[in-house]
Amino acid sequence: MRRLFLLAAGAAALAMLAAGCQNTVNTLSGGPEVSQLDLQRFSSDSFCRDRLAVMSVHRSRTEGGAMKLQVALRSERYGFFPEIWSWFTGENPYYINYRVDWFDPDGMKVASPSSNWMTEIFYPGETRYLQSVAPNSKCCGFMVSLKEKND
Amino acid sequence: MKQYALFGGAAAIALGLAAGCAVAPHRIDPAGDEMLTSTHRIDVKDWQTAALKSIDSLLESGALARTDGRKTVVMVGEVKNSTSTPVNTRILTDKIRQAILKSGKAVTTTAVGAKGAEETATRQVRELENDDLFNQATVQKRGTVISPDMSLSGEIVQQKSKVGRVEESYFFFHVVMTDLATGLAVWEDNVEIGKQETKSIFD
Repeated sequence: MRRLFLLAAGAAALAMLAAGCQNTVNTLSGGPEVSQLDLQRFSSDSFCRDRLAVMSVHRSRTEGGAMKLQVALRSERYGFFPEIWSWFTGENPYYINYRVDWFDPDGMKVASPSSNWMTEIFYPGETRYLQSVAPNSKCCGFMVSLKEKND
Repeated sequence: MKQYALFGGAAAIALGLAAGCAVAPHRIDPAGDEMLTSTHRIDVKDWQTAALKSIDSLLESGALARTDGRKTVVMVGEVKNSTSTPVNTRILTDKIRQAILKSGKAVTTTAVGAKGAEETATRQVRELENDDLFNQATVQKRGTVISPDMSLSGEIVQQKSKVGRVEESYFFFHVVMTDLATGLAVWEDNVEIGKQETKSIFD
């Protein structure tokens, strides 16, 4: 009976540990130019959240009237020890996948090739600029998704 | 006898391990990142990358806009395959033409294409004008099909390199939009994709 109780307690402790490891908040950190409102337009897995920071979010209009988006992302893994660790774990360079979903004024997602996962490569401390053009001039909302690339 | 038993046991374990490595057929998301990557072929992700970058560049350029309020009519010309493997360049052109249509700035025609009409029905239905089976008032008239203003064409080039056990392929997608009235290229762009692998010493 005592053994059964110990087993149950051990399982409960393991479950609590696992729950503690689960990140339910996936907000990326942002640079001084980036508002909290803009950060809400990003979703990320916990790996990218810990390794990348959103440095800027810029919007403009193309000649055809469609919205153009540019996001600057910086690799936060730089410095001697982080780079040694990245080399050890095979994350130098660091491969991510990203996609941009576009939405019309009613909040409906508009099908676009930018909704396919695309690959980007980051070297330690490097800033990369992801760009996307809305599929039509009616699109006014976007969502950027990031995840670590697994091969 | 004992040796046979050992050999049989080892063979059974090896077979079991080999069977354990098998993966049953399953569906994967073409928009995801599970698709296969090869060095010397154009993979699904390469087509998607080339299409996305070309489309973004085209929509950003404003080349499709007209001043007379009419929508530009675009035909899909030839995209030449200069790679070492046969590919259907329609994978690229269809993505671009769909994006052109969705942009609302232009329309595409299927009545003309690089190798004749993409959709032969436009001509076929006009041949019904001599067929007394059909109500002639409903037969499409000649002289109503709209001729294209612009043509989308391009080329895909591949360059292979090998140094020791390292092999790589460089793919160069060139896409151009030509104003058919003047013959001038009103937009063009390149998408470059590089892939590399290191072969095993046993290969």
